[in-house]
Amino acid sequence: MNIKNFKLNTKIIAFGLASALLYSCGEPKPTDGDTDDDLAGTDTVKAVALNVGGELFSIPSPMQTALLIQKSGVAYDKAILNIGNKNGQYVSEYTKSLNLGIYGADLGYVSMYNQTQDAIGYLGAVKNLADKLGVSAAFDQATMKRINDNISNKDSMLMLVGVAYRASDAYLKTNKRTEISSLILTGGWIESMYFSIMAYNKKPTDEIKYRIAEQKQALVSIVKLLKSHNLPDALELVTQLEKLSKIYEGITTKYNFVEPTTDEAKKITYINSTTEISISKEQIDQIAAKVLAIRDKIINAKS
Amino acid sequence: MKKNFYKGLLILSIIGFSNTAKAQCDSIASLCSKHIIAQFISDGQSYRSLLLNSDEMAEFHTTFFGETTYRLAACSGKTDGNLIFNIYDQDRHLLFTNKNYANAPYWNFKVKNTLECTIEAQLDANKNAGSGCAVILIGFKQK
Repeated sequence: MNIKNFKLNTKIIAFGLASALLYSCGEPKPTDGDTDDDLAGTDTVKAVALNVGGELFSIPSPMQTALLIQKSGVAYDKAILNIGNKNGQYVSEYTKSLNLGIYGADLGYVSMYNQTQDAIGYLGAVKNLADKLGVSAAFDQATMKRINDNISNKDSMLMLVGVAYRASDAYLKTNKRTEISSLILTGGWIESMYFSIMAYNKKPTDEIKYRIAEQKQALVSIVKLLKSHNLPDALELVTQLEKLSKIYEGITTKYNFVEPTTDEAKKITYINSTTEISISKEQIDQIAAKVLAIRDKIINAKS
Repeated sequence: MKKNFYKGLLILSIIGFSNTAKAQCDSIASLCSKHIIAQFISDGQSYRSLLLNSDEMAEFHTTFFGETTYRLAACSGKTDGNLIFNIYDQDRHLLFTNKNYANAPYWNFKVKNTLECTIEAQLDANKNAGSGCAVILIGFKQK
């Protein structure tokens, strides 16, 4: 492409985009059906798709682990949680984000055990850090009121906290602050691992042991996610998580595919495959030591 | 002078398009969230990707834990059924595709044992010839 052509292309592209943008900002035209309307709307994103796309990552919800622990009959233990009124000591975006994830998991844990008074405290810590991080849109007055109104209703609380964290994730992604979102997810995951380890120490059931062992994929995603942002503050954390990954590499799994079955009327598919996991006491201990060290550093940060 | 004008116009237009795309993703996510009904707890994430055409695919890996029922909602555009999603196990066995069920916008999965999955989503060429924002949401409940 020579320079002349580039100039011409710039003019054409600029006019084309500006015209289309003005068109898209105008009054919506009545359409015969939704499909045509969709096409008009969806075509406009073509120009930015390359800049917005990217790999997607999925991190398990910490509430899922808290639910398993509660169902396993492990008693509520407030002492294992991060202290709620410490939230003021987190100054940098890095520590605030990680600890927002940790407090979110703690809020899920206390809600799971119907600890209303503690839930109020953790809700305050979450709200405080969310405000400081500029994600108060996800914890706005209406959401906070709904959560407060349902604070003694476990099921509603869990649902509302999940929705609020999803809203925060969406808000951060929309505003291109994905590094904050990634750190929140990382904090939540580390806290859920910590819950599992503490629960296993109290009641070493196979269910909890396997849940600890089943985090290989989540950890791979977290490491990739954090590395994709290349955050100087997170370098040490990434190194520690990679060391944790090394321990996970030693855990063996044997997957057996079984054909799924579907009940179309109920819109449900039964995933019947089985997985056998083999994890040693030594591996559990190594994972526990590493997770505790990582979490300690995060919750005791004073910057 | 003229050159700067066109450059400026181009930059402003791109910013405008970016905002349009963000707003589009937000409204799709909002519509999609209605499929994660109150019985299900959200996993706290909003998976979204801008797809240029029906050949492009959004993909992510996740773990489905045993003894759990998941609900997966997949949306694009202002109506249901524009997005095809497939779930594969670690050996690329197809566990589910909503293509077999009229591109159902949501589906439930009762998982016996924990497994690692890959979820793929693409626009349905028969319904949406252009580009669009694809949104996937996941909710769960204990069996």
